[in-house]
Amino acid sequence: MRHLSRYSALSKGLFVPEGRKGRKVVVIDVRPTATSKQADIFLQVTPGQDFEIATVLRALIKGLPLEGLSESSTVAGVPLSKWRELVALMKECHYGVVMFGIGLTQSRGKELNLEQINTLVGEMNEFTRFYAIPMRGHGNVNGSNQVLTWQTGYPFAVNLSRGYPRYNPGEFSVMDLLVRREVDAALIIATDPGAHLPKAAVEHLKNIPIIVLEPHENWTTSWANVVIPVAPAGVGAAGTFYRMDSVALHVKKLVDFPFPSDLEVVKSIKERITDVKDYQRASL
Amino acid sequence: MLKIINGQVYDPANGVRGELKDICIEGGKIIAEPHFPQNHKGDIEVIDAAGCAVMPGGVEIHSHLAGPKVNTARMMCPEDHYDHVHSKTLATRSGTGYTIPSTFLTGQLYSRLGYTTVFEAAVPALLARHAHEELQDTPLLDAGFFTLMGNNYMMMKVLGEPESEKRKERLRDLVAWLLRSSKGYAVKIVNPGGIESWKWSQGSVNLDTPVPPFGVTPRRMLLELVDVVEELHLPHPIHLHSNHLGEAGNVQTTLETMRTLEGRRVHLTHMQFHSYGATKKGGIASGAPQIAEYLNQHPEFTCDAGQIVFGPVTTMTADSPMQFHLHQLTGNKWANADVEMESGAGIVPLIYRPSNLVNAIQWSIGLELLLLVKNPWQIFLTTDHPNAGPFTAYPQIIRLLMDADYRRARMAELNPKAVRYTCLAELDREYTLDEIAIITRAGPAKALGLYRKGHLGVDADADVAIYRLQQDKEAMFSRPAYVLKDGEVIVREGQVIKNVRGRTLFVQPEGSQKLPPDLADDFAKFYSIALSNFAVEEEYVERPEVIPCI
Repeated sequence: MRHLSRYSALSKGLFVPEGRKGRKVVVIDVRPTATSKQADIFLQVTPGQDFEIATVLRALIKGLPLEGLSESSTVAGVPLSKWRELVALMKECHYGVVMFGIGLTQSRGKELNLEQINTLVGEMNEFTRFYAIPMRGHGNVNGSNQVLTWQTGYPFAVNLSRGYPRYNPGEFSVMDLLVRREVDAALIIATDPGAHLPKAAVEHLKNIPIIVLEPHENWTTSWANVVIPVAPAGVGAAGTFYRMDSVALHVKKLVDFPFPSDLEVVKSIKERITDVKDYQRASL
Repeated sequence: MLKIINGQVYDPANGVRGELKDICIEGGKIIAEPHFPQNHKGDIEVIDAAGCAVMPGGVEIHSHLAGPKVNTARMMCPEDHYDHVHSKTLATRSGTGYTIPSTFLTGQLYSRLGYTTVFEAAVPALLARHAHEELQDTPLLDAGFFTLMGNNYMMMKVLGEPESEKRKERLRDLVAWLLRSSKGYAVKIVNPGGIESWKWSQGSVNLDTPVPPFGVTPRRMLLELVDVVEELHLPHPIHLHSNHLGEAGNVQTTLETMRTLEGRRVHLTHMQFHSYGATKKGGIASGAPQIAEYLNQHPEFTCDAGQIVFGPVTTMTADSPMQFHLHQLTGNKWANADVEMESGAGIVPLIYRPSNLVNAIQWSIGLELLLLVKNPWQIFLTTDHPNAGPFTAYPQIIRLLMDADYRRARMAELNPKAVRYTCLAELDREYTLDEIAIITRAGPAKALGLYRKGHLGVDADADVAIYRLQQDKEAMFSRPAYVLKDGEVIVREGQVIKNVRGRTLFVQPEGSQKLPPDLADDFAKFYSIALSNFAVEEEYVERPEVIPCI
């Protein structure tokens, strides 16, 4: 809801002085939600047809013939005329933004759905300004993507086992490595795999030594071999957050915490490893 | 103390042109040769540079190497990384990438060419924190960036003010505040007004097109910003990417822009992209002779080349309309960003080919500019990395400039029609080592106002590159025998042997520490972050160096 009030729907803009009245909000979802109640237009669609929707919108925007569809047809359970209305709205607006959620990656078509949505947004720029913002799940997922990208060239699923970065989602992503049981130890920072990963992946994690840096008790800490309590960023430690639109924000330390920050813990682990390596090198 | 002996020193800023001269270094600085008593056996480390050219460390004046758009480009182009991997060594961290290398690798690749100072060309103030985070992870180099202002709402609003004295004062305060908040080094203007105009779905702008929403013209933005930058005594003048980049016939806009700003110090960047004449059919032809003639009569202007390098590139600029057109033209993948209240950005990967007529003409124009501008202190070597080519191609371009036979051999590979639209074939000039030292270090350092860089006089930073003299200048500049940063040897025979952290270079011009109340009010209402979260905190510059505004 804060997104609606602070950024997307209710806030007054330099060129939208009326706030909510100056905007049109269209929600496309498979069921009514708190957001859809706020919408000017809510299109309740049948699940699993995201790719079809984006494709039909692209065709309508370009004025291409819709083979196999008549004016009385429906697409994803919504009459074609409604989609035409939406396209007219999109072309008329001065500045449009598509905000999409991770649900798109879970339905049939997976990443192709995103490609189709992004192509649609790109093509809309022939008529007016249009942008897309992915609605990320957890806080600062974008921060992890940004740092990995500037340090290794790749946003996630990076494998450094050969001494240089390799990237292959589906091969080097956490889930795949765990399910294939290629991992023999894990360092877990700022996440709770016990709560989020599928059973097979968690089963393997339970069989290998794991170290968790975590301020709270969670599903993973209960069976972790080592839990190092850390001060949460933005409360007990300073840090940097990358917002969903990639604006980097500094978060402050507000109160003293009895625990070190993630950074301090990782740094001291690294120093110890360097000491051991230097010792091994010296004794060669 | 460290002493470099027997080397041929090229230190153009101090009038040294290849003379045998010793360079003494202590405490990270160049010092005068101390008078030791005979048979002194103090603690002196000696580098024997016999058969070598000794130059100041290279200074990069315009490169897109760190920050939000660079990282977006890395993210969208894994294909740029797969085949270009660098393993970790005892001294360096691993990395990937050819046109958009990861940060650690960027530092290594620059220092392996003998460069020790670099400037990122364009960062919006709102995203400055991100750029600083990447610069902290770019080792071996002193680095800073230019802060984008040419399409900033607050700037345009202030310029819309009718009363001229008040306007000037407010603009000065705003520019100083933006630079201080972002910890930036200079004022960058990209396609003044053009990005904003595109956000309103309107066409491209000329110098006198009123730009929505405040109706200010690009001419007024340029004139007033140039004055303010002079009044603030910033070390680097306006860093300008003019309107109509890459369009046939844009040489007229570029000349008109320079005439407008005549008599004032201005740096025009990637001039190659702004020196296009037009053919009757609407194609491009070289406008380099006109630009060079103008520059030859106006020493107040400096520019950098933006030389094309054949092969893959990743174009990225705040000039989002230009990138949209490039995307439509090529059909290549495209990323676009709108930076609220401030700017925009676009990214499109490309391949330049000698067989492509337009690319062949572009390649020729860059070289024509470099050869026709008589005073090397007015034109610097850049590839607008990674827009016209990767910076790793500098040695190849140096060879093109120093070796006319090699240049002619490469010209034979061009699309044969290119000669109709260019005059490169008629140019016989060959650069000297002294001139190369100017366009790669002494000149950029001077234009940037870096009084401790780009020369080897007493008190200069001990950033030194030592190249083994060779007939093949590409080989010579690809693999320095030694590179020193702050007096320490960091590169030996083209390999990084020591990892050091560079400093962040920025300015703190005088002026109000706060935004004027009405602008602060706008900020609170219309920015998506709070004013108190805008200015980049101290911890994002671990090794700060404030360059004074004098």
